Amino acid sequence: MVENKDAHPSKLPDPETWVDQYGDYLYRFALSRIKDPGLAEELVQETFLAALNSRKNFKGRSSARTWLIAILKHKIIDQYRKKKPEESREDMEIFPDGVDHMFDDKGSWIERPGKWNTNPMKAYEQREFMDVFYRCLSDLPKRLSKAFVMREMEGQSTEEICKNLDITATNCWVILYRARMHLRHCLDVNWIAQ
Amino acid sequence: MFCCKDVSQKISESMDRTLPLHHRMFIRIHILMCKYCLRFRRQLIILREAARKIDLSPEALDSALGLSQEARDRMKKTIEAQSA
Repeated sequence: MVENKDAHPSKLPDPETWVDQYGDYLYRFALSRIKDPGLAEELVQETFLAALNSRKNFKGRSSARTWLIAILKHKIIDQYRKKKPEESREDMEIFPDGVDHMFDDKGSWIERPGKWNTNPMKAYEQREFMDVFYRCLSDLPKRLSKAFVMREMEGQSTEEICKNLDITATNCWVILYRARMHLRHCLDVNWIAQ
Repeated sequence: MFCCKDVSQKISESMDRTLPLHHRMFIRIHILMCKYCLRFRRQLIILREAARKIDLSPEALDSALGLSQEARDRMKKTIEAQSA
């Protein structure tokens, strides 16, 4: 995260320049959490408006971009909370997301995990990897990506996710397991290591 | 409790909570013998790191994605109207 390390607080640029300076960045960020481009756009706009209204609250402790992202993150979380639990259950019927089919009747891998040949701490530096990762993430069924994003990007604990999605802890772990299994499998298939 | 399917589920769970000791033992013993589950665990860590980096530096994404010109113009107008 780009934090302002200077002694002087950072300045908030003129709102007229916000869309050009931060629009794409915020949009990409929103899109990585919310599959719907129209909704992502809406949230970016709401972020700008909220920022406009609370300009005076910007203390300059972080960069303008970090501040805007924080506002956006809250809007994204609110968006998740709006979704009723019934929707998630419907989702499950239409898109079965179990992973039993990935194992044989002895419980062994049918398609064994392939070699990725990448340094775990540096995978994100490889554009090709991140490109596939991003695509795989957006291909996950909604109910899986929601939980995964809350856990891995928002850094929420199991308890917080349970509360926000109105599910039990066991549900949560199962959903996260499935999300990881599908994501990993997608990367295995689509990312050919150098 | 030693099959890959069970272990894969426990490995994932270990990333969301502290597992009881006996489950941690099952994992360790299994991955000593199964290089695929060892790989699996490594890959889940890669996924976690990648997800965190998306959070911190979206420019790592080689992405041509952006707002449409129409969306930009619309937002600029809205901001202008609001700040007037």
